[in-house]
Amino acid sequence: MTNAPIVSATDLVRRYGEGEAAVTALAGVTVAFAQGEYAAIMGPSGSGKSTLMHCLAGLDRPTSGSVVVDGVELAHLDDRRLTALRRDKIGFIFQAFNLLPVLTAEENILLPLSIAGRRPDREWFEQLVATVGLGDRLDHRPSELSGGQQQRVAVARALVSRPAVVFADEPTGNLDSKASADVLELLRTSVDELGQTVIMVTHDQDAADVADRIVTLTDGRIVEDRRTQAAVA
Amino acid sequence: MLTLSLRSFGVRKLRVALTLIAVALGVALISGTYILTDTINRSFDTIFTTAAKGVDVSITPRDAIDDATQDGIAVTTIPASFLAEVERQPGVAKAVGTIDTANVALFTADGDRIGGSGGAPTQLSSDTPPPFSAITYEEGRAPTGMGEMAVLEQTAESEGLKIGDRLKVVGAGPQTELELVGIARFGGVSSIGGFTLIVTSLEQAQALADQPDAYSSILVAADPDVTPGELRDRLRQLPSPTPVNVRTGQQQADQNTADIREALGFLTTALLVFAGIALFVGAFIIFNTFSITVAQRMREFALLRTLGASRRQVMGQVIFEGLIIGLVGSILGLLLGLALAPGLRGLFNAIGADLPSEGTVVEPRTIIVSLVVGTLVTLASGLAPAIRATRVPPVAALREGAVLPRGRGARFITPSGAILALGGVAALAAGLFGGAGIELVGLGAGLVFIGTALLSPKLVPPLAGAIGRMFPGVVGRLARENSVRQPGRTAVTASALVVGVTLVAFVSIFAQGLKATIAEAVDTAARPGTLIVQNTAMGVPLPAAVAGGLERVDGVTSVASVRFSVSRVEGVGRTAVTSVSPTLPDVFDTRWAQGDNELLRDLGRDHAVVTDRWADDHGVEVGDELALTTPTNERLRLRVTGITDDDSGLFAPVTVSNELAQEAFGERQDAIVFAGTSPDEEAAVKARVDRLLEQQFPLAEALTVQEFKDQQAGQVNQILALFYVLLSLSVIVSLFGIVNTLVLSIYERTRELGMLRAIGTSRRQVRRMIRYEAVITALIGATMGIVLGLVFGVAVTVALEDEGLVLSIPVGQLVVLLVLGGLAGVLAAIAPARRASRLDVLQSLAYE
Repeated sequence: MTNAPIVSATDLVRRYGEGEAAVTALAGVTVAFAQGEYAAIMGPSGSGKSTLMHCLAGLDRPTSGSVVVDGVELAHLDDRRLTALRRDKIGFIFQAFNLLPVLTAEENILLPLSIAGRRPDREWFEQLVATVGLGDRLDHRPSELSGGQQQRVAVARALVSRPAVVFADEPTGNLDSKASADVLELLRTSVDELGQTVIMVTHDQDAADVADRIVTLTDGRIVEDRRTQAAVA
Repeated sequence: MLTLSLRSFGVRKLRVALTLIAVALGVALISGTYILTDTINRSFDTIFTTAAKGVDVSITPRDAIDDATQDGIAVTTIPASFLAEVERQPGVAKAVGTIDTANVALFTADGDRIGGSGGAPTQLSSDTPPPFSAITYEEGRAPTGMGEMAVLEQTAESEGLKIGDRLKVVGAGPQTELELVGIARFGGVSSIGGFTLIVTSLEQAQALADQPDAYSSILVAADPDVTPGELRDRLRQLPSPTPVNVRTGQQQADQNTADIREALGFLTTALLVFAGIALFVGAFIIFNTFSITVAQRMREFALLRTLGASRRQVMGQVIFEGLIIGLVGSILGLLLGLALAPGLRGLFNAIGADLPSEGTVVEPRTIIVSLVVGTLVTLASGLAPAIRATRVPPVAALREGAVLPRGRGARFITPSGAILALGGVAALAAGLFGGAGIELVGLGAGLVFIGTALLSPKLVPPLAGAIGRMFPGVVGRLARENSVRQPGRTAVTASALVVGVTLVAFVSIFAQGLKATIAEAVDTAARPGTLIVQNTAMGVPLPAAVAGGLERVDGVTSVASVRFSVSRVEGVGRTAVTSVSPTLPDVFDTRWAQGDNELLRDLGRDHAVVTDRWADDHGVEVGDELALTTPTNERLRLRVTGITDDDSGLFAPVTVSNELAQEAFGERQDAIVFAGTSPDEEAAVKARVDRLLEQQFPLAEALTVQEFKDQQAGQVNQILALFYVLLSLSVIVSLFGIVNTLVLSIYERTRELGMLRAIGTSRRQVRRMIRYEAVITALIGATMGIVLGLVFGVAVTVALEDEGLVLSIPVGQLVVLLVLGGLAGVLAAIAPARRASRLDVLQSLAYE
């Protein structure tokens, strides 16, 4: 995996608050993720791993430093362009699934395309549904699905628009071990078979071990950046 | 627990603010009404009391029917000879006759009318020399002799009149040019509402009013050794040629105030009805807010229960919050009422009911009623949610996403809604058709609203589905789904709007029917080419000379006039009387139940015709004899020769000849004069009639049948506009309800909105989604309201079919109403949509 970086951050600093009470969440982070990479960001609570993800995904603006996603420098974008970028180039998977309870599984999956006013590519959709294994559950509402099924819907939703990168924020945090394994496997498959780039924030070592690379943060700095067994395999 | 209640307000500022507004607006209309009418009453009281200074005894004409006077101006007069009698009585220091008449108009020297036509009235009053001091002069002096006049300060100011100006005055007598010699106050005030008051000497007033040998009243000052009461008793012994009231000055002032109070009582009641409607709408919103709040705070309540709070304590907390909101909202409403009172007054000014109001009168009753009603309505509306709060099981504190258990009563909601709605319909029917009274109609309407509100959760999904289809794309789909996510909540929110829209639709339909009825009645009755001549001041008659003048106009084929009077019919009581010229059938085609038009030609002095409804009510048949007492105390026996079936409104229950009206009723002036022309000459003849009126009777105007219909429709429209404005307050309250519900549901959906924004929904799309949601809710309310309004409108029209009311549905207006309903939704969505679109994405995602 030596392709050009799809997501990169340079000298990223994020400070909250002013003066004495200021808290530095990111204290100068430089990191790059290549296309087709499955990376995990780890670190203890308050290490800045979530802040890093938020900055990389255009959800939070860094105090200084630059973030480039798929060749676009985020610092120059206003809210409207940033929103469009998230819509078209980024997929999200959340710890709390965050599906819309009023929509069916299929509608939830297609939501990013609907918002963009784009027609779904039926073939890609079928393939996606087959991959996440939800074929017979498409017309169910989230409340009728198990946690694992809901998170698989969320994964499909993140992938449906073929984003440049998928960010997963503690995707297994609300799941039992069986469902967790399924979702991690699914992400692995999306990287290996669909060529997707996935950046996952987690504090679960087993989850991180599925990734190709583990970036570890402490006190807002990268303290370790290594390849895993999975990458070697 | 109390601290906790207060603390939780701080957290929910916006919600509390919106609920307060819902309470405050209704209360504001209550307090505003009381403040306005109390202020007007107090002003009149002050004016009359000040004006009565120096008057020890007041003698006014009394018609033989009862003590009634029309609009405070005597319908009859006192013969001038009686003044001489009064003056001769021992203990009378001074006695003067007065002239007061509304049949007058003021013009500039150039002929421009001063004091609106149709608007606030103009009155001519004779000056009362000292010791009587009703009129005092700020500038210049009192008018004396012939050729002089004074006006009120307010009129001089607004018209830019100065001492020395020459003005024209027209009354029943000839037009006269007068010099302005004084700027006056009446009863110590510079203006009596919009009244234009013309003051002249008594002789001049008698000439202007063409009333040389009669007075409107006699004012008496007592010798120092006689008390007003003694003198009054003495003067009461004096035989008078026509019936009179003899009162002390204070009694007369009190009587005048009481008359005004009674006249304004209707205004007070009408405004309070609208206040009640606004509060009723507010109650829906309070109920909804409390319901949603209780649902959202379930975990908080559960936590309290876990910590050992009893059900009663939890319920107590919700009720205490209701008490605080009710009380604070009522206080705000009371204060808002202070600001609203002048606004309400302006509203009445706008339709010509200008009334004096000096200062601001806040009676203790205003404060008590406002606070009690506002607080009770809030508490009552919050009771059901408070009871629901007690059902929260302690375990809910530990579970995420627990749902409040459905109440035991939940399954009864739909059936009880149906029962209430049906009961309401029954009450409406009993009130409308059974003659059970207007209260029952109001109760029925209220029950129908509540019943519909209870049924509406079932109506919301299909309606939302149908309406939501208008909105395209995933944003439209989400809006539609969100609006039915909690059908009960959407239903209550929409129901608040239903009340206002129903009433607006109903009055539109009713007014349209009324206009159609008038048009139809006029079209059927008035013969083609007929001109209708009446006074430009509403309700003021025309001198008989107008009819005489019209007869001489070239091309006028026939002239007929109609007069209005009253009588006391033996066995019935006070009864309105119409009198007509024998020529009426030439210009007016009356419809008859029994008899024909020819009957009107020979009513003579012994015959009368009656209306079919009155005949039915009192068992009167053709051939019966009616025993009548006239206002001038003549006793008549008249034979009923025919029964009319006419919807034009021209015929009072009893109709006699003008000849008889003049001789036995003292009615010398015409209310309406009809001038017949041949239709092909109508325009030319009208031009000649206009010229005659302009030159000799500037108070009169001639209208073609079409113009008359338009004028009548215009009057209906004016009242309609007033209703719209008053009902708009209820609609505004319900808009706050939509805002409130949106804000609360956005708050509940914070995380969803965060996710939508994170995955690329633009702010504009979020705003659009909220806007669609609001429009769907508003259109559900508007649709239901229009349907209910149609039902009420048709029901009332059918009930009044006997009165000739025809059904005419203003389709265009109802469509406009629907569109306005949708726009109201757009308006209500502005703030919540902005709020939703500005949510911080990260905070929203982290939100629980």
